[in-house]
Amino acid sequence: MNKKPFNLSKFLLIGYFIVIILYLTFPIFIVIPISFSNNPFLRFPPSNLGVLWYETYFGDSGWVEATLLSLKVGLIACVVSTVVGTLAVLVLERQWLRSKTLLTYFITSPIIVPHIFISLGMFIFAIRLGIDDNAITLAFAHATIAFPFVFLIVGASHRQLDPTYERAARVLGAGPVRAFFSAAFPSLLPGIVAAAVFSFFVSFDELIIAEFMMSGQQTLPMRIWADLKLEMRPTIAAVSSILIVASIIGMGAAEILRRRSVNISNS
Amino acid sequence: MSTKKKIRSTWLLWPALFMLVAFFLIPTLDILRASVYDPEFTTKHFTKLFSSNVYLDVLWRTIRLSCIVALICAVIAYPISYFIVQRPRKQQIFFLFLVFIPLWMSVLIRSYAWMVVLGREGLINAILIGLGFTDAPVKMLFTTGAVYVAMVQILLPIQIVTCYSAMTEIDLDLMRAARILGAKPWQAIRRVFLPLSLDGTVTGAIIVFMLSMGFFITPALVGGRKDIMMANLIEFQVNQLNWGFAAAISIVLLIGTVLCVIIIKRLSKILTGRLVGGGNA
Repeated sequence: MNKKPFNLSKFLLIGYFIVIILYLTFPIFIVIPISFSNNPFLRFPPSNLGVLWYETYFGDSGWVEATLLSLKVGLIACVVSTVVGTLAVLVLERQWLRSKTLLTYFITSPIIVPHIFISLGMFIFAIRLGIDDNAITLAFAHATIAFPFVFLIVGASHRQLDPTYERAARVLGAGPVRAFFSAAFPSLLPGIVAAAVFSFFVSFDELIIAEFMMSGQQTLPMRIWADLKLEMRPTIAAVSSILIVASIIGMGAAEILRRRSVNISNS
Repeated sequence: MSTKKKIRSTWLLWPALFMLVAFFLIPTLDILRASVYDPEFTTKHFTKLFSSNVYLDVLWRTIRLSCIVALICAVIAYPISYFIVQRPRKQQIFFLFLVFIPLWMSVLIRSYAWMVVLGREGLINAILIGLGFTDAPVKMLFTTGAVYVAMVQILLPIQIVTCYSAMTEIDLDLMRAARILGAKPWQAIRRVFLPLSLDGTVTGAIIVFMLSMGFFITPALVGGRKDIMMANLIEFQVNQLNWGFAAAISIVLLIGTVLCVIIIKRLSKILTGRLVGGGNA
């Protein structure tokens, strides 16, 4: 490997890769050290180390309520989008439909349309029906944004399934539903879990629909947004650090699960 | 394949269709209606939009910024994807994992992180002052440059992943064949690899462009007063309760996005054609 004449450009390429990875990840992790400061202002380097801003976050009922509301909306959106998206995969990936291409376009179209456009539409729609400022409406709105991603993620792992197992189960006398649940579903499950985690974070991080629709209650992104526009207090650094660690754990676990499933189905 | 015909249960698709109709199709129609009925039929919102330079300036700025962001992402991502795709399989997974880390964070927090890095008393200013390069903090936050730096960082992983997946489809033996037939490394890349991988790059750039067109949080947080984009304009109008006007702006944004995507696709086709033609000569 080392004796190729390509060496210098390979070396440059590795250096370039490291620089870009630092550019991508460094700004995120810099938030964590500054959250452990007792200074009232955001300042480098952080002095006066302490957990003041974590205490402020957990001690403020507004922050806690916003977090709980976001968790609630996120969980509902996650369950709804995962179920609806997976069911859509089961129809479009396994059955022959004349309008399959058209339906696939329709299902994935919310991804393509600018987010602000959908947000405004949902807002006008909710106002017209008088269902705005409602956590359930918000959860369904978020689920609509998230389920095309579920459809793509679960659809991708469905395409990796080996149909022979299910056929074998059918030959051995299982009905179509039982054959699916015993032979196909277990290998589909990691993809479904990954999609569920992803759709939870789509909802948990979503700002604009919530900002339009909710007037009485605040979700966590709304609260962060409101604080950021006023002043940059380090409470947000504490909240961000918690969210960064939570995202890494959640998404990392889902990713490992998905990878493992791919390895199992390949072996 | 024979199992596929046995379950005919298209009703499983109904929840998806119901949700799309209720929360996507009808809201879209609501926007169309709100833009031209107020409460009677009127074109005043569109007239207002197109008669004032202020709004057209924002549209033009949004398109320009999105194009530049997409271009920067495409240029930065290409060598990165090339690098990853040439590594052994195990390393590829790890490197992609690194690229994915920022993708898991909310845009809100990533924009906030840039406020921390670029702010008056932020990281970069602390370093510059600490090393004695400057006495007073340099203004970096709330500038157009900050919007570019942050938006490219936020959208780059998407471009890398799209570009990478397209590159994995390319048979690397073709490059080897070109090398054996006497092509220099750069020739092999330019005449074989580049034309084959350009499609994925263009797809990625189009996705980045479309996402940029709707960007809202980042320009509002790290940009200056002059850096507002279409989405910020829409949000402002909604807060002013001008829903009809907000709807009209949204429609212009959507149509503008679609038109630009069509143009980008056309241009890229011409470009690819040139490259392939150059390879034959």
